[in-house]
Amino acid sequence: MRIDKCYFCSGPVYPGHGNMFVRNDCKVFRFCKSKCQKNFKKKRNPRKTRWTKAFRKAAGKELTVDNALEFEKRRNIPLKYQRELWKNTVEAMKKVEEIKQKRQARFIINRLKKGKELDKEEAIVEVKKNIHLIKAPHAGKAKQMEEKMVQKLQEDVDMAEDNI
Amino acid sequence: MALLPHLAKACHVLRVDVTSLSQRSAFSVSAVAAAIQKMTRVRVVDNSPLGNTPHHRAPRVIHVYTKNGIGKVGDKVMLAIKGQKKKALIVGHKMPGNRMTPRFDSNNVVLIEDNGNPTGTRIRVPVPTHLRKMEGDYSKLLAIASTFV
Repeated sequence: MRIDKCYFCSGPVYPGHGNMFVRNDCKVFRFCKSKCQKNFKKKRNPRKTRWTKAFRKAAGKELTVDNALEFEKRRNIPLKYQRELWKNTVEAMKKVEEIKQKRQARFIINRLKKGKELDKEEAIVEVKKNIHLIKAPHAGKAKQMEEKMVQKLQEDVDMAEDNI
Repeated sequence: MALLPHLAKACHVLRVDVTSLSQRSAFSVSAVAAAIQKMTRVRVVDNSPLGNTPHHRAPRVIHVYTKNGIGKVGDKVMLAIKGQKKKALIVGHKMPGNRMTPRFDSNNVVLIEDNGNPTGTRIRVPVPTHLRKMEGDYSKLLAIASTFV
């Protein structure tokens, strides 16, 4: 039993799902659902169809080069059956899956950080521009006047002292 | 009343849009995907000399050995190749069948003798695996097939 990859969207094709098409050059195309099959028949390029994994990887939106992804590559060398190997492989698969998810998530978060900074800057600019909607026209003026008065009084006291 | 000319103008714009949409394709342009029946041209996929020598007429099905005249994978047919009659076995067709069976890009056929032995010695084109489970002795055919799909 093997979980194949859909040719178009790179999603998993579980047993009992999807379709298979054999072209006359003997290349086999597996599809996970009729959406992918219909797009293929329309001769759409998966590397240009935005919702596919092929596009995301080609456009640098998802993790492409990583050691965790090397485990998924197909090996065409058959191995002799060993129970220990199978047990260890299953354990390793769980760990690798965990690590892979974390790395993929981290990659996307790092990619979106720049957007967050830009958002913040934009927000600051917007608030500054429309501060009149939030702040009352003479909001901080009372304190300013108070400070000015204190300063003036201080100067008057100083001048009076000088005169004396 | 003053609204009508305005509406008429708007409708005129809409109508133009609709006709350009309907002019795109009033009929399907892809080939019909039917099963194999009389007069279908087939592609012989083994390495027999009869199947591979060029002829000015493509090999055609002249009889399908089923109760209805529809040939699917595993059915025997009679072909007219190079002016002679020859039996053949269907190993793939363009028509989508059962979900778990592959669909091929051409109607593939393997030449066969009257006793069921294949004429050629090798089949390079992928052959569907559900032939193994089918009723009938296809063991010799499966033995000469190189890839399974």
